[in-house]
Amino acid sequence: MTVNAAALTKSEQMPPAFDVERVRADFPILEENIHGNPLVFLDSAASAQKPRAVLNAMRYLYEHEYANVHRGIYYLSEVATNRFEAARTTVARFLNARHDHEVIFTRNATEAINLVAASWGRAFLQPGDEIIVSEMEHHANIVPWQMLRDEKGLVLKVAPISDEGVLRMDAFEALLGPRTRLVAMTHMSNVLGTVTPARDIVARAHAVGAKVLLDGTQAATHNVIDVQDIGCDFYAITGHKLYGPTGIGALWAREEILDAMPPYMGGGEMIDKVTFEKSTFAPLPNKFEAGTPAIAEAIGFAAAIDYINDHGMAAIAAHEQDVLTYANQRLATVEGLRIIGTAPGKASVISMVADFAHAYDIAMVIDREGVAVRTGNHCAQPLMARLGVDSTVRASLGMYNRRQDIDALVKSLEKVRRIFG
Amino acid sequence: MGQFDPDMMAHIKFNEFVENLRDLDDETRFEYILDLAKKHRDDPFPETDMSAKHEMHGCQAKVWIIHSRKEGRNYFRGHSNAAIVNGLVTMMTDSFSGWADEDIADLTIDHVRQLNLGSLTIQRQVGMMAMLKYMKKLSLDKVA
Repeated sequence: MTVNAAALTKSEQMPPAFDVERVRADFPILEENIHGNPLVFLDSAASAQKPRAVLNAMRYLYEHEYANVHRGIYYLSEVATNRFEAARTTVARFLNARHDHEVIFTRNATEAINLVAASWGRAFLQPGDEIIVSEMEHHANIVPWQMLRDEKGLVLKVAPISDEGVLRMDAFEALLGPRTRLVAMTHMSNVLGTVTPARDIVARAHAVGAKVLLDGTQAATHNVIDVQDIGCDFYAITGHKLYGPTGIGALWAREEILDAMPPYMGGGEMIDKVTFEKSTFAPLPNKFEAGTPAIAEAIGFAAAIDYINDHGMAAIAAHEQDVLTYANQRLATVEGLRIIGTAPGKASVISMVADFAHAYDIAMVIDREGVAVRTGNHCAQPLMARLGVDSTVRASLGMYNRRQDIDALVKSLEKVRRIFG
Repeated sequence: MGQFDPDMMAHIKFNEFVENLRDLDDETRFEYILDLAKKHRDDPFPETDMSAKHEMHGCQAKVWIIHSRKEGRNYFRGHSNAAIVNGLVTMMTDSFSGWADEDIADLTIDHVRQLNLGSLTIQRQVGMMAMLKYMKKLSLDKVA
């Protein structure tokens, strides 16, 4: 993962001592009891919980500052517009974008990827052009490219991974060629926790003239992201995994690429002038934001990023790594349990299968202990096929998880083993 | 003694489940479902029927249901690779085996609710409804 010191905020350069109990106190839902047990939330990779700062920011907007944004000649609209555009600035700084207008608000990372496929892909790819994805992609970074392949007559290639879940760079390199136009790759697997070598991927892809899209859905939650340092062309993130609300995400792309791309959707906000004969389009970023945007959600997203920055992403990552290491040690003591995905430097996702119970049974039993994990294929069916499993139990960590959560997980897994073993 | 009513006889198993589950707390209900799954260890579901042909979709775990007809009535057997789902599918297939076509066609979510699965109902309602729908389809397909 790349870290550009110049991109770090003051709080990241001098992170305060990370106090997980103080963090937990900011997340009201963590006080809930589930089936009579304290909630142990280990499903942040699906969607993270929200701190009061996010809830308060959205509530304050609706109670005091809400109006539709852009072009309203009255006080509230100006305030809301300023807040909305400030949120864009916050996201841009979070990614270390060169310009605020390189950040396009979307509903989520899925829409961000689809935007690239529908706009850049349709405009610039020709029959026979090649797109490379990896074996460990989320469906959101497979299906849009399949749809585009079928529409445009493209070739979709798949870079393999090792049994440990590491991207095989030699095999990836072998797939690159003169017809490779795009490498669309996860920056961190939502199933394996593998962090891909983004800079290396970009360097090799750029060497053959291909552009690189990184699905940063998971990576941005656990690491400092610097798109300039990585050197990629597109970066997709989502708000709700970053402790923000649902319904808001962002696509970052370099200005010159976005300028060249045609609009994705037509409607209000994205136009310059409309007649029945012709329309001209607004400059960036509005060109890609047709219709009334998710105003409160964008502001909530920015509040979440501010909250992360207050604690320092580097400090959060270090804390999560400590809990992950502890989890790996403790889970190794559960007889019959196997962790899927052991790539060096992996981040806060632990996929497991057990020889004593199906993933579904595990999740059902441990739910009764208040432990929330996710089971299934995690929107990565090709990866499941590659791993030879139909389902895993996935425990994923957020900044609020602590070692006690792992103890509760292990205790509940031992109960499962007693029941089914 | 009243006259023999084949429909009433066929519905005995369903009514028995309804009765057995009525007053159980969540924990005991959970154990009851698991016991149902274990019961079928003595009479295992044929491995040859664990095929794509008999697999239904809509559950996270794999579920297979086979259907046969005898004297105008529907008979089901089911299995899952997850124990809890195995218990649930066993309950569903045992409940509605022997039912006439028109009764199978009339199955609704209310029948699942009558089983009083407590918190299991909330968590697994989608899967249970998928099973119900699949069983209705099997019945209809055989009729056709």
